[in-house]
Amino acid sequence: MAFLLRRLGFYLAAFIAAATINFFLPRLMPGDPIQIMFSSTGTELSAENLASLKLTFGFVDGPLWQQYLTYLKSIFTGDLGRSIKYFPLPVTEVLGHALIWTVALMGTATLISFTLGTFLGILAAWRRGSVFDVVVSVGAIFATSVPAVVTSLIVLFFFGFTLNWFPTGYSADPALDPAFSLTYILSVLYHGILPMLTLCTVLTGGFAVTMRNNMINLLGEDYIVMGRAKGLSDSRVMIWYAARNALLPTVSSLAIAIGTVLGGSLVTEVVFNYPGLGNILYQAILARDYPVIQGQLLIMTIAMLVANFIVDISYVLLDPRLRRT
Amino acid sequence: MQPLIAGLVRNRKALVGMIILLIIVLIALAAPLLTEYNPAARVGRPHQPPSAEHWLGTTRIGQDVFARLIYGARTSLAVGFGAGLLITVLGTALGIIAGYRGGKTDEVISFFTNMVLVVPNLPLLLVLASFIGQASPLVIAIILGCTSWAWGARVTRAETLSVKQKDFVKSAEMMGEPRWRIMTFEIFPNLISIVGINFIGSVIFAIITEATLEFLGLGDPKTVSWGMMLYNAQKASALSVGAWWDILTPCFALALLGIGLSLLNFAVDEIANPRLRTGNSMSRWSALIRSGEGRL
Repeated sequence: MAFLLRRLGFYLAAFIAAATINFFLPRLMPGDPIQIMFSSTGTELSAENLASLKLTFGFVDGPLWQQYLTYLKSIFTGDLGRSIKYFPLPVTEVLGHALIWTVALMGTATLISFTLGTFLGILAAWRRGSVFDVVVSVGAIFATSVPAVVTSLIVLFFFGFTLNWFPTGYSADPALDPAFSLTYILSVLYHGILPMLTLCTVLTGGFAVTMRNNMINLLGEDYIVMGRAKGLSDSRVMIWYAARNALLPTVSSLAIAIGTVLGGSLVTEVVFNYPGLGNILYQAILARDYPVIQGQLLIMTIAMLVANFIVDISYVLLDPRLRRT
Repeated sequence: MQPLIAGLVRNRKALVGMIILLIIVLIALAAPLLTEYNPAARVGRPHQPPSAEHWLGTTRIGQDVFARLIYGARTSLAVGFGAGLLITVLGTALGIIAGYRGGKTDEVISFFTNMVLVVPNLPLLLVLASFIGQASPLVIAIILGCTSWAWGARVTRAETLSVKQKDFVKSAEMMGEPRWRIMTFEIFPNLISIVGINFIGSVIFAIITEATLEFLGLGDPKTVSWGMMLYNAQKASALSVGAWWDILTPCFALALLGIGLSLLNFAVDEIANPRLRTGNSMSRWSALIRSGEGRL
């Protein structure tokens, strides 16, 4: 319990750090920060709208620390300002809607590739040096070293444009209304296949290699030999003696991988024109919509911290030593 | 150091990786000899398919794709190795200092390291780059270097903790060697494989991230680089108008460079950690490649 509380305190500090970057960055840039942040072609901000935006981002009269506290206050009350491009929509609304798609896509892809990768890694380590091991290891090297943007574009080119098997954009058929109907859900699944395939290709290899290397390091341990000497079946030694212990460091690598997953999903969404955070962000970058760009850093940081906390909890569940202290 | 180099020469993964890297470096250096075209100039009609005149076709505005490819390699390599070096120097220095000094120094450095690790990297870079405006490759390399050292620092610190317990460090302390000397000449040489893995990994990361930032529209439009090639091709809807050469060329270049560097990285890892070495699998792997099944 103390362990989890300490982690929570740390996550709070990390979140404030991200907010601090958001606060200081416009003020460190040469030129007028208000001019930089809120001037955008296309939208005319009225004086009172501008005043409320300035308040949200801490541009108040007063010393810097007072501005900083004003900014922190608006963030902790859930006010991230309004989008310049989609004015007057609040940033939280613009990003919140997109977040659902991203989390669904990313969550499923992480789950699939973690399960698949771990399983491939266990088998590859167990049959070290076999053809299967070589295929997994070499495949993993290739898949992990190719940038997500390249994988996305190649998948899009072959399955979307050349073979014409799958749609090349959107999360569902634009002609359908979002509803809990079978046709709509099927359309969502159909549109999700290519982005999902890309993300799984990018992620599975990394999990497989981590698991394989952890397993191989454990296979020389005495308790493995002991398990075999007792006459236990191969699969029992493999799963309950080796894999169970090798899983622990893999779970902590999952926490670090979440950052990669986020980055990968941003790019994948842009390529597949998927209505998630990545696409919103891409539009925001092109329009230099700073409130949205800053808001995504905070929302992604929260997503990352929540994911890390879930990993912490699973760590406590997997490692009995942490429960006692 | 010596076993590392000897191991690299004998390891097949390292050899293949080294050859790929060498070819790309040579092509980048010899770019003016290999093409007569200026990579930034309009030298042909828009979106021409590959021909004898334009080996890899032309872009939407009539630039030669092959010229952009080989000149762009220079940018990717420079950003990759420049940022990779910066990341490694920062990460290694902070890791060794935290691990060796311990106490308050360690607590402060570790706290910051862990904090940087949980703030998602790409979103942070997007905010930084968007405020800087059209980021040139140099600027991208510097912000990559300053934000991405945390993983290296963490790994180096962990390794330093075990090296500093060794007898030769203890004896150097007894003899009254200054602390900076112990860190540079006693501890650092024993971390060389970790530093190597960190360096190559950081180069891969920097190359991928530079391309990603530029693809997302945060680069300087005047830059000739693989990331800008992707950005321009995507903006010109190259895939939907059927100009595959425009977009697949930088794709394959990035993939090839990434694979080459990763092979090197895995090789260093295997040499540093002998349990991962599987002589048997390597000979089979090379047999696979020779028979063409490895699809290299």
